[in-house]
Amino acid sequence: MAELDDIIHQPLRLKIMAALNALPGSVGLEFARLKKLTGATDGNLGAHIETLSKAAYVTVDKAFVGKKPQTTVTATAAGRAAFARHIATLQEIIAASGGDK
Amino acid sequence: MIDSKQASAALSDIDDVVKRVRQSRIYEIASLIIVMWGALLVVTYIVNYMWPRQGYTIWTISNLLGLAITTAVGFFFNIRSGARNFPIRSLITFVLIGAFGAYCSIWLGHFGPRQMTVFWALYGMLFYAIAGLWFGHAFIVIAISTTALTLIGYYYAGSAFLLWMAVAHGGGLIVGGLWMRRI
Repeated sequence: MAELDDIIHQPLRLKIMAALNALPGSVGLEFARLKKLTGATDGNLGAHIETLSKAAYVTVDKAFVGKKPQTTVTATAAGRAAFARHIATLQEIIAASGGDK
Repeated sequence: MIDSKQASAALSDIDDVVKRVRQSRIYEIASLIIVMWGALLVVTYIVNYMWPRQGYTIWTISNLLGLAITTAVGFFFNIRSGARNFPIRSLITFVLIGAFGAYCSIWLGHFGPRQMTVFWALYGMLFYAIAGLWFGHAFIVIAISTTALTLIGYYYAGSAFLLWMAVAHGGGLIVGGLWMRRI
């Protein structure tokens, strides 16, 4: 059985990757939207995005929309592949135990 | 390594987030279209109030404009998602809804201007309510509140009915669309 991805497995990072992976290829999520979807705090979300970014699972783009700074987080191809492997491993764990008991 | 219960919980968390993202995307696109229609309706009701005899022309132009903008917004979001296809099914859906409404109100119903106005507002809100059953409660809230305000206007607004509708229907959609972006 494949190993779980330690970077993705942390609960908040799993939610971040799930949210970004649900979007089409090049579409990202604004920081505020991601915060709402995952229920995280600013600091916590920022720290976990940083971890995912260092692993090259996400890219972070900062831009100004008018006078407001806007941070957009997008899953990379490597991040999507790692997330897919992680899901497959979770499903294997359930299958190996004879289903969801 | 984790056990199957923890794996199930993780998959359930993922499923929950994915559902929320999908709803958020639907709300993002729909809110833009709803606000656009709201603004268009405000203008159309006021213009119709000023030139009541030109109702058919005014509403035909307004609806065609709204349909064109709605299709353009759908196309834009398709391109942004990498799909690049023209939202032909959405366009056909709108045309069918419009054609059926026109058949009922013009050929079968022979409605007067006031009945025509209230029919199209309620008919539109019917589809918001149906959309709400599939895509999220915000559509139902907008449908119920706009329907209630439309009926109040129909029975009690007297000669200011079109102005009432500019605020209740057009303004209601603008407020509803902006609210949808925040949830």
